[in-house]
Amino acid sequence: MLMHHIANASLTDKVMSSEDSNPAATPTPGVDTQGDGRWMSLHNHFVSNSKDKEPDVLFVGDSLVQLLYQFEVWRDLFSPLHALNFGVGGDATQHVLWRLSNGELGHISPKVVVLWVGTNNHGHTAEQICGGIMAIVQLIKDKLPKAYTLVLGVLPRGKMPNPLRERNAQVNKLVQEAVSSLPHASLLNVDPGFVHSDGSISHQDLYDYLHLTPQGYQAVCQPLHAHLKGLLEKQAEN
Amino acid sequence: MSGDEMNPAAVAQAVEDIQGDDRWMSQHTRFVQECKDAEPEVLFIGDSMVQLMQQYEIWRELFSPLHALNFGIGGDTTCNVLWRLQNGELDNIGPKVTVVWVGTNNHEHSAEQVAGGILAIAQLLTSRLPKTKVVVLGLLARGEWPNPLREKNVAVNSFLRSWLPRLGHTQFLDVGAGFVHSDETISTRDMFDFLHLTAAGYRAIAKPLIDLLLQILEGTPEEKRASLV
Repeated sequence: MLMHHIANASLTDKVMSSEDSNPAATPTPGVDTQGDGRWMSLHNHFVSNSKDKEPDVLFVGDSLVQLLYQFEVWRDLFSPLHALNFGVGGDATQHVLWRLSNGELGHISPKVVVLWVGTNNHGHTAEQICGGIMAIVQLIKDKLPKAYTLVLGVLPRGKMPNPLRERNAQVNKLVQEAVSSLPHASLLNVDPGFVHSDGSISHQDLYDYLHLTPQGYQAVCQPLHAHLKGLLEKQAEN
Repeated sequence: MSGDEMNPAAVAQAVEDIQGDDRWMSQHTRFVQECKDAEPEVLFIGDSMVQLMQQYEIWRELFSPLHALNFGIGGDTTCNVLWRLQNGELDNIGPKVTVVWVGTNNHEHSAEQVAGGILAIAQLLTSRLPKTKVVVLGLLARGEWPNPLREKNVAVNSFLRSWLPRLGHTQFLDVGAGFVHSDETISTRDMFDFLHLTAAGYRAIAKPLIDLLLQILEGTPEEKRASLV
Protein backbone atom coordinates (compact mmCIF):
# COMPACT_ATOMS: atom_id res chain seq x y z
CA MET A 1 0.00 0.00 0.00
CA LEU A 2 1.38 3.40 -0.93
CA MET A 3 1.35 5.98 1.78
CA HIS A 4 -0.24 9.28 0.76
CA HIS A 5 1.50 12.36 1.93
CA ILE A 6 -0.76 14.15 4.40
CA ALA A 7 0.55 17.67 4.78
CA ASN A 8 -0.53 18.36 8.31
CA ALA A 9 -0.04 14.98 9.94
CA SER A 10 3.17 14.20 11.79
CA LEU A 11 5.24 11.35 10.44
CA THR A 12 4.36 9.26 13.49
CA ASP A 13 0.62 9.69 12.83
CA LYS A 14 1.16 8.88 9.18
CA VAL A 15 2.88 5.58 9.82
CA MET A 16 0.65 4.57 12.72
CA SER A 17 -2.60 5.20 10.84
CA SER A 18 -1.72 2.72 8.12
CA GLU A 19 -0.89 -0.14 10.53
CA ASP A 20 -3.78 -2.23 9.25
CA SER A 21 -2.76 -1.92 5.63
CA ASN A 22 0.99 -2.03 6.17
CA PRO A 23 2.25 -5.63 5.95
CA ALA A 24 5.49 -4.56 7.64
CA ALA A 25 3.45 -3.44 10.67
CA THR A 26 1.05 -6.39 10.83
CA PRO A 27 2.16 -9.02 13.37
CA THR A 28 2.95 -12.16 11.40
CA PRO A 29 4.49 -15.37 12.68
CA GLY A 30 7.27 -17.04 10.70
CA VAL A 31 6.10 -19.77 8.36
CA ASP A 32 7.71 -23.21 8.60
CA THR A 33 8.35 -23.68 4.90
CA GLN A 34 11.23 -26.08 5.36
CA GLY A 35 9.56 -28.59 7.68
CA ASP A 36 11.57 -28.51 10.90
CA GLY A 37 9.68 -25.92 12.93
CA ARG A 38 12.78 -23.94 13.83
CA TRP A 39 11.21 -20.49 13.92
CA MET A 40 8.61 -21.49 16.47
CA SER A 41 11.20 -23.46 18.47
CA LEU A 42 13.29 -20.32 18.79
CA HIS A 43 10.28 -18.21 19.74
CA ASN A 44 9.29 -20.72 22.45
CA HIS A 45 12.84 -20.69 23.79
CA PHE A 46 12.80 -16.91 24.05
CA VAL A 47 9.44 -16.96 25.82
CA SER A 48 10.72 -19.39 28.45
CA ASN A 49 14.00 -17.44 28.72
CA SER A 50 11.90 -14.41 29.56
CA LYS A 51 10.48 -16.31 32.54
CA ASP A 52 13.86 -17.22 34.02
CA LYS A 53 16.03 -14.22 33.38
CA GLU A 54 16.15 -10.60 34.53
CA PRO A 55 17.94 -8.73 31.77
CA ASP A 56 18.75 -5.05 31.92
CA VAL A 57 19.16 -4.99 28.15
CA LEU A 58 17.18 -6.92 25.53
CA PHE A 59 18.51 -7.23 21.98
CA VAL A 60 15.80 -8.12 19.48
CA GLY A 61 15.84 -8.40 15.70
CA ASP A 62 17.13 -10.48 12.82
CA SER A 63 20.31 -12.44 12.04
CA LEU A 64 22.52 -9.44 12.73
CA VAL A 65 21.31 -9.67 16.34
CA GLN A 66 21.33 -13.47 16.42
CA LEU A 67 24.86 -13.88 15.09
CA LEU A 68 26.22 -11.28 17.52
CA TYR A 69 25.55 -13.75 20.33
CA GLN A 70 27.86 -16.33 18.74
CA PHE A 71 31.02 -14.27 18.85
CA GLU A 72 33.39 -13.24 21.68
CA VAL A 73 32.23 -9.64 21.43
CA TRP A 74 28.94 -10.59 23.10
CA ARG A 75 30.66 -12.06 26.14
CA ASP A 76 33.13 -9.17 26.32
CA LEU A 77 30.75 -6.25 25.93
CA PHE A 78 27.12 -7.24 26.46
CA SER A 79 27.02 -10.12 28.95
CA PRO A 80 28.40 -7.76 31.62
CA LEU A 81 25.41 -5.50 30.95
CA HIS A 82 23.04 -8.43 31.68
CA ALA A 83 21.77 -8.65 28.14
CA LEU A 84 19.45 -11.17 26.50
CA ASN A 85 19.47 -11.95 22.79
CA PHE A 86 16.20 -12.58 20.93
CA GLY A 87 17.50 -12.45 17.37
CA VAL A 88 16.06 -14.70 14.64
CA GLY A 89 17.71 -14.97 11.25
CA GLY A 90 15.49 -13.93 8.37
CA ASP A 91 13.06 -11.98 10.52
CA ALA A 92 11.43 -8.87 9.08
CA THR A 93 9.63 -6.22 11.16
CA GLN A 94 6.29 -8.06 11.09
CA HIS A 95 7.89 -11.19 12.55
CA VAL A 96 9.56 -9.30 15.40
CA LEU A 97 6.25 -7.56 16.04
CA TRP A 98 4.50 -10.93 16.33
CA ARG A 99 7.15 -12.37 18.67
CA LEU A 100 7.03 -9.40 21.02
CA SER A 101 3.23 -9.48 20.99
CA ASN A 102 3.17 -13.18 21.84
CA GLY A 103 5.15 -13.64 25.01
CA GLU A 104 8.73 -12.57 24.46
CA LEU A 105 8.20 -9.46 26.58
CA GLY A 106 6.28 -11.27 29.28
CA HIS A 107 7.96 -11.38 32.73
CA ILE A 108 10.93 -9.16 31.89
CA SER A 109 11.56 -5.48 32.45
CA PRO A 110 14.75 -4.51 30.65
CA LYS A 111 15.81 -0.90 31.00
CA VAL A 112 16.84 -0.73 27.35
CA VAL A 113 15.60 -2.61 24.30
CA VAL A 114 18.01 -2.62 21.36
CA LEU A 115 16.03 -3.12 18.14
CA TRP A 116 17.83 -4.06 14.92
CA VAL A 117 15.54 -5.13 12.07
CA GLY A 118 14.39 -4.05 8.62
CA THR A 119 16.91 -5.40 6.15
CA ASN A 120 14.83 -8.53 5.45
CA ASN A 121 11.62 -6.64 4.58
CA HIS A 122 11.78 -7.59 0.92
CA GLY A 123 8.99 -6.20 -1.21
CA HIS A 124 8.21 -3.43 1.28
CA THR A 125 8.87 0.25 0.70
CA ALA A 126 11.09 2.30 3.00
CA GLU A 127 7.95 3.96 4.38
CA GLN A 128 6.37 0.61 5.17
CA ILE A 129 9.53 -0.64 6.86
CA CYS A 130 9.70 2.54 8.94
CA GLY A 131 6.06 1.94 9.86
CA GLY A 132 6.95 -1.56 10.96
CA ILE A 133 9.83 -0.37 13.10
CA MET A 134 7.69 2.35 14.68
CA ALA A 135 4.95 -0.21 15.41
CA ILE A 136 7.53 -2.22 17.34
CA VAL A 137 8.68 0.92 19.19
CA GLN A 138 5.06 1.62 20.15
CA LEU A 139 4.47 -1.98 21.26
CA ILE A 140 7.52 -1.86 23.50
CA LYS A 141 6.27 1.41 25.01
CA ASP A 142 2.88 -0.19 25.70
CA LYS A 143 4.30 -3.32 27.30
CA LEU A 144 7.35 -1.82 29.02
CA PRO A 145 6.43 1.77 29.90
CA LYS A 146 9.77 2.44 31.62
CA ALA A 147 12.03 1.00 28.92
CA TYR A 148 14.08 3.00 26.46
CA THR A 149 14.20 1.71 22.88
CA LEU A 150 17.42 2.12 20.95
CA VAL A 151 16.80 1.50 17.27
CA LEU A 152 19.97 0.64 15.36
CA GLY A 153 20.28 1.95 11.82
CA VAL A 154 19.97 -0.67 9.09
CA LEU A 155 23.38 -1.32 7.56
CA PRO A 156 24.29 -0.98 3.90
CA ARG A 157 24.49 -4.28 2.00
CA GLY A 158 25.74 -5.72 -1.27
CA LYS A 159 29.27 -5.42 -2.59
CA MET A 160 28.52 -2.38 -4.79
CA PRO A 161 25.79 0.32 -4.76
CA ASN A 162 22.32 -1.15 -5.29
CA PRO A 163 18.64 -0.36 -4.59
CA LEU A 164 18.69 -2.08 -1.18
CA ARG A 165 21.36 0.33 0.05
CA GLU A 166 19.15 3.23 -0.96
CA ARG A 167 16.12 1.62 0.66
CA ASN A 168 17.98 0.99 3.94
CA ALA A 169 19.36 4.54 4.02
CA GLN A 170 15.86 5.90 3.46
CA VAL A 171 14.49 3.70 6.26
CA ASN A 172 17.07 5.15 8.63
CA LYS A 173 16.21 8.70 7.59
CA LEU A 174 12.47 8.14 8.11
CA VAL A 175 12.95 6.42 11.47
CA GLN A 176 15.26 9.20 12.64
CA GLU A 177 12.52 11.73 11.88
CA ALA A 178 9.83 9.59 13.52
CA VAL A 179 11.69 9.09 16.81
CA SER A 180 12.99 12.63 17.06
CA SER A 181 9.92 13.73 19.01
CA LEU A 182 9.86 10.69 21.31
CA PRO A 183 11.47 10.79 24.77
CA HIS A 184 11.63 7.01 25.02
CA ALA A 185 13.36 6.09 21.78
CA SER A 186 16.16 7.11 19.47
CA LEU A 187 18.02 5.90 16.39
CA LEU A 188 21.72 5.11 16.58
CA ASN A 189 23.71 4.91 13.36
CA VAL A 190 26.15 2.02 13.92
CA ASP A 191 27.72 2.04 10.45
CA PRO A 192 31.36 2.91 11.12
CA GLY A 193 31.93 3.59 7.43
CA PHE A 194 31.64 0.18 5.80
CA VAL A 195 31.21 1.68 2.33
CA HIS A 196 34.60 2.63 0.85
CA SER A 197 35.26 5.60 -1.42
CA ASP A 198 34.77 3.41 -4.50
CA GLY A 199 31.33 2.40 -3.26
CA SER A 200 32.40 -1.12 -2.33
CA ILE A 201 31.89 -3.04 0.89
CA SER A 202 34.65 -5.41 2.00
CA HIS A 203 34.08 -9.07 2.83
CA GLN A 204 36.42 -8.50 5.79
CA ASP A 205 33.58 -6.49 7.36
CA LEU A 206 30.51 -8.20 5.86
CA TYR A 207 31.56 -11.71 4.85
CA ASP A 208 28.68 -12.15 2.39
CA TYR A 209 28.05 -8.41 1.96
CA LEU A 210 25.17 -8.65 4.49
CA HIS A 211 26.34 -10.40 7.67
CA LEU A 212 29.07 -9.04 9.92
CA THR A 213 32.41 -10.71 10.53
CA PRO A 214 33.79 -10.63 14.09
CA GLN A 215 35.90 -7.64 12.91
CA GLY A 216 32.77 -5.96 11.59
CA TYR A 217 30.99 -6.55 14.89
CA GLN A 218 33.90 -4.99 16.81
CA ALA A 219 33.59 -1.82 14.74
CA VAL A 220 29.82 -1.69 15.29
CA CYS A 221 29.76 -2.73 18.92
CA GLN A 222 32.40 -0.53 20.52
CA PRO A 223 30.38 2.68 20.01
CA LEU A 224 27.12 0.79 20.65
CA HIS A 225 28.45 -0.46 23.97
CA ALA A 226 29.55 3.02 25.00
CA HIS A 227 26.17 4.44 24.06
CA LEU A 228 24.33 1.69 25.94
CA LYS A 229 26.33 2.26 29.10
CA GLY A 230 25.42 5.93 28.92
CA LEU A 231 21.74 5.07 28.52
CA LEU A 232 21.78 2.60 31.40
CA GLU A 233 23.41 5.14 33.66
CA LYS A 234 20.75 7.68 32.75
CA GLN A 235 17.97 5.15 33.36
CA ALA A 236 19.47 4.38 36.76
CA GLU A 237 19.22 8.05 37.69
CA ASN A 238 15.50 8.18 36.84
CA MET B 1 23.52 -44.45 -9.06
CA SER B 2 21.29 -41.65 -10.30
CA GLY B 3 21.33 -40.60 -13.95
CA ASP B 4 22.44 -37.00 -13.95
CA GLU B 5 20.18 -35.86 -16.75
CA MET B 6 17.15 -37.03 -14.82
CA ASN B 7 18.26 -35.73 -11.44
CA PRO B 8 17.39 -32.06 -10.86
CA ALA B 9 19.79 -31.97 -7.89
CA ALA B 10 22.65 -32.71 -10.30
CA VAL B 11 21.84 -29.88 -12.70
CA ALA B 12 24.16 -26.88 -12.37
CA GLN B 13 22.25 -23.71 -11.58
CA ALA B 14 23.28 -20.21 -10.54
CA VAL B 15 21.31 -18.36 -7.85
CA GLU B 16 19.04 -15.64 -9.19
CA ASP B 17 19.36 -12.18 -7.65
CA ILE B 18 15.85 -11.81 -6.28
CA GLN B 19 16.65 -9.48 -3.40
CA GLY B 20 18.43 -6.89 -5.54
CA ASP B 21 21.98 -6.64 -4.19
CA ASP B 22 23.59 -9.41 -6.26
CA ARG B 23 25.43 -10.87 -3.29
CA TRP B 24 25.64 -14.45 -4.55
CA MET B 25 27.42 -13.45 -7.75
CA SER B 26 29.71 -11.09 -5.81
CA GLN B 27 30.79 -13.95 -3.58
CA HIS B 28 31.31 -16.30 -6.55
CA THR B 29 33.39 -13.66 -8.35
CA ARG B 30 35.53 -13.21 -5.26
CA PHE B 31 36.16 -16.96 -5.05
CA VAL B 32 37.18 -17.09 -8.72
CA GLN B 33 39.66 -14.29 -8.02
CA GLU B 34 40.98 -16.15 -4.98
CA CYS B 35 41.73 -19.10 -7.26
CA LYS B 36 44.04 -16.85 -9.25
CA ASP B 37 45.88 -15.57 -6.19
CA ALA B 38 46.07 -18.53 -3.82
CA GLU B 39 47.59 -21.99 -3.76
CA PRO B 40 45.36 -23.87 -1.34
CA GLU B 41 46.22 -27.33 -0.11
CA VAL B 42 42.69 -27.77 1.19
CA LEU B 43 39.50 -26.47 -0.43
CA PHE B 44 36.18 -26.30 1.44
CA ILE B 45 33.09 -25.95 -0.74
CA GLY B 46 29.43 -25.91 0.22
CA ASP B 47 26.69 -23.95 1.93
CA SER B 48 26.46 -21.88 5.14
CA MET B 49 27.79 -24.78 7.21
CA VAL B 50 31.08 -24.23 5.35
CA GLN B 51 30.81 -20.44 5.16
CA LEU B 52 30.13 -19.80 8.82
CA MET B 53 33.07 -21.94 9.93
CA GLN B 54 35.44 -19.29 8.65
CA GLN B 55 33.99 -16.70 11.01
CA TYR B 56 34.89 -18.63 14.16
CA GLU B 57 38.30 -18.80 15.85
CA ILE B 58 38.54 -22.49 14.98
CA TRP B 59 39.20 -21.65 11.33
CA ARG B 60 42.24 -19.61 12.18
CA GLU B 61 43.46 -22.18 14.74
CA LEU B 62 43.04 -25.38 12.78
CA PHE B 63 42.31 -24.83 9.09
CA SER B 64 44.20 -21.68 8.01
CA PRO B 65 47.51 -23.34 8.92
CA LEU B 66 46.67 -26.03 6.38
CA HIS B 67 46.40 -23.35 3.65
CA ALA B 68 42.68 -23.83 3.33
CA LEU B 69 40.29 -21.83 1.16
CA ASN B 70 36.63 -21.46 2.05
CA PHE B 71 34.14 -21.33 -0.82
CA GLY B 72 30.95 -21.66 1.20
CA ILE B 73 27.83 -19.64 0.35
CA GLY B 74 24.79 -19.60 2.63
CA GLY B 75 21.66 -21.07 1.10
CA ASP B 76 23.45 -23.01 -1.62
CA THR B 77 22.07 -26.30 -2.93
CA THR B 78 24.00 -29.00 -4.79
CA CYS B 79 22.91 -27.29 -8.05
CA ASN B 80 24.48 -23.99 -7.01
CA VAL B 81 27.75 -25.62 -5.94
CA LEU B 82 27.92 -27.52 -9.22
CA TRP B 83 27.48 -24.28 -11.16
CA ARG B 84 30.21 -22.52 -9.18
CA LEU B 85 32.65 -25.38 -9.68
CA GLN B 86 31.95 -25.41 -13.42
CA ASN B 87 32.36 -21.65 -13.69
CA GLY B 88 35.79 -20.83 -12.37
CA GLU B 89 36.06 -21.90 -8.75
CA LEU B 90 38.39 -24.77 -9.66
CA ASP B 91 40.59 -22.87 -12.10
CA ASN B 92 44.34 -22.69 -11.44
CA ILE B 93 44.28 -24.55 -8.12
CA GLY B 94 45.41 -28.02 -7.14
CA PRO B 95 44.33 -28.73 -3.56
CA LYS B 96 45.36 -32.06 -2.07
CA VAL B 97 42.01 -32.36 -0.31
CA THR B 98 38.57 -30.98 -1.14
CA VAL B 99 35.94 -31.01 1.58
CA VAL B 100 32.34 -30.97 0.36
CA TRP B 101 29.48 -30.06 2.69
CA VAL B 102 26.15 -29.34 0.98
CA GLY B 103 22.66 -30.81 0.64
CA THR B 104 20.66 -29.56 3.62
CA ASN B 105 19.16 -26.72 1.54
CA ASN B 106 17.90 -28.97 -1.31
CA HIS B 107 14.28 -28.58 -0.23
CA GLU B 108 12.76 -29.42 -3.63
CA HIS B 109 14.58 -32.73 -3.96
CA SER B 110 14.23 -36.21 -2.51
CA ALA B 111 16.98 -37.76 -0.37
CA GLU B 112 18.08 -39.92 -3.28
CA GLN B 113 18.24 -36.92 -5.60
CA VAL B 114 20.25 -34.91 -3.06
CA ALA B 115 22.73 -37.76 -2.66
CA GLY B 116 22.94 -37.95 -6.46
CA GLY B 117 23.73 -34.24 -6.57
CA ILE B 118 26.51 -34.64 -4.02
CA LEU B 119 27.84 -37.60 -5.98
CA ALA B 120 27.90 -35.46 -9.13
CA ILE B 121 29.95 -32.87 -7.25
CA ALA B 122 32.44 -35.52 -6.10
CA GLN B 123 32.68 -36.86 -9.66
CA LEU B 124 33.30 -33.37 -11.04
CA LEU B 125 36.04 -32.75 -8.46
CA THR B 126 37.90 -35.99 -9.11
CA SER B 127 37.80 -35.41 -12.85
CA ARG B 128 38.84 -31.72 -12.73
CA LEU B 129 41.42 -32.13 -9.95
CA PRO B 130 43.04 -35.51 -10.51
CA LYS B 131 45.36 -35.12 -7.51
CA THR B 132 42.66 -34.28 -4.99
CA LYS B 133 41.15 -36.52 -2.37
CA VAL B 134 37.48 -35.71 -1.80
CA VAL B 135 35.97 -35.78 1.69
CA VAL B 136 32.19 -35.55 1.77
CA LEU B 137 30.76 -34.55 5.15
CA GLY B 138 27.46 -36.08 6.19
CA LEU B 139 24.43 -33.84 6.60
CA LEU B 140 23.71 -32.93 10.20
CA ALA B 141 20.42 -33.36 12.00
CA ARG B 142 18.33 -30.18 12.22
CA GLY B 143 15.30 -28.84 14.06
CA GLU B 144 14.82 -28.89 17.82
CA TRP B 145 12.67 -32.04 17.72
CA PRO B 146 12.38 -35.03 15.36
CA ASN B 147 11.00 -33.90 12.01
CA PRO B 148 10.95 -35.02 8.37
CA LEU B 149 14.16 -33.15 7.50
CA ARG B 150 16.11 -35.16 10.05
CA GLU B 151 14.90 -38.36 8.43
CA LYS B 152 15.71 -37.00 4.99
CA ASN B 153 19.26 -36.04 5.95
CA VAL B 154 19.82 -39.47 7.50
CA ALA B 155 18.64 -41.04 4.24
CA VAL B 156 20.99 -38.83 2.20
CA ASN B 157 23.90 -39.93 4.38
CA SER B 158 22.88 -43.54 3.95
CA PHE B 159 22.96 -43.29 0.15
CA LEU B 160 26.33 -41.52 0.32
CA ARG B 161 27.82 -44.20 2.54
CA SER B 162 27.11 -46.85 -0.05
CA TRP B 163 27.77 -44.84 -3.24
CA LEU B 164 30.89 -42.82 -2.44
CA PRO B 165 33.33 -45.67 -1.80
CA ARG B 166 32.73 -46.83 -5.39
CA LEU B 167 34.16 -43.55 -6.60
CA GLY B 168 37.93 -43.44 -6.39
CA HIS B 169 39.71 -40.95 -4.13
CA THR B 170 36.50 -40.13 -2.28
CA GLN B 171 35.33 -40.84 1.23
CA PHE B 172 32.39 -40.06 3.46
CA LEU B 173 32.82 -38.64 6.96
CA ASP B 174 29.95 -38.48 9.43
CA VAL B 175 30.55 -35.62 11.88
CA GLY B 176 27.07 -35.60 13.35
CA ALA B 177 27.58 -37.86 16.36
CA GLY B 178 26.33 -36.47 19.64
CA PHE B 179 24.17 -33.60 18.39
CA VAL B 180 20.86 -35.38 18.97
CA HIS B 181 20.45 -36.02 22.70
CA SER B 182 18.74 -39.02 24.30
CA ASP B 183 15.49 -37.03 24.53
CA GLU B 184 15.79 -36.49 20.76
CA THR B 185 16.36 -32.76 21.06
CA ILE B 186 19.14 -30.64 19.65
CA SER B 187 20.54 -27.98 21.95
CA THR B 188 21.06 -24.32 21.07
CA ARG B 189 24.49 -24.76 22.66
CA ASP B 190 25.45 -26.76 19.57
CA MET B 191 23.19 -25.23 16.91
CA PHE B 192 22.07 -21.70 17.78
CA ASP B 193 19.00 -21.90 15.53
CA PHE B 194 18.75 -25.70 15.37
CA LEU B 195 20.56 -25.65 12.03
CA HIS B 196 23.72 -23.53 12.19
CA LEU B 197 26.60 -24.48 14.48
CA THR B 198 27.87 -22.48 17.42
CA ALA B 199 31.58 -22.22 18.20
CA ALA B 200 31.15 -25.27 20.45
CA GLY B 201 29.37 -27.14 17.68
CA TYR B 202 32.20 -26.44 15.22
CA ARG B 203 34.79 -27.53 17.79
CA ALA B 204 32.98 -30.87 18.04
CA ILE B 205 33.00 -31.51 14.29
CA ALA B 206 36.50 -30.13 13.78
CA LYS B 207 38.12 -32.94 15.75
CA PRO B 208 37.28 -35.87 13.43
CA LEU B 209 37.66 -33.63 10.39
CA ILE B 210 41.12 -32.32 11.22
CA ASP B 211 42.26 -35.86 12.10
CA LEU B 212 41.20 -37.08 8.67
CA LEU B 213 42.70 -34.09 6.86
CA LEU B 214 46.04 -34.53 8.57
CA GLN B 215 45.97 -38.23 7.77
CA ILE B 216 45.40 -37.49 4.08
CA LEU B 217 47.90 -34.62 3.94
CA GLU B 218 50.60 -36.56 5.76
CA GLY B 219 49.96 -39.44 3.41
CA THR B 220 51.01 -37.33 0.40
CA PRO B 221 54.80 -37.43 0.28
CA GLU B 222 55.26 -34.12 -1.50
CA GLU B 223 56.69 -30.75 -0.65
CA LYS B 224 56.24 -28.40 2.21
CA ARG B 225 53.23 -28.07 4.40
CA ALA B 226 52.48 -25.31 6.81
CA SER B 227 53.62 -25.89 10.36
CA LEU B 228 50.87 -27.91 11.92
CA VAL B 229 49.36 -27.37 15.34
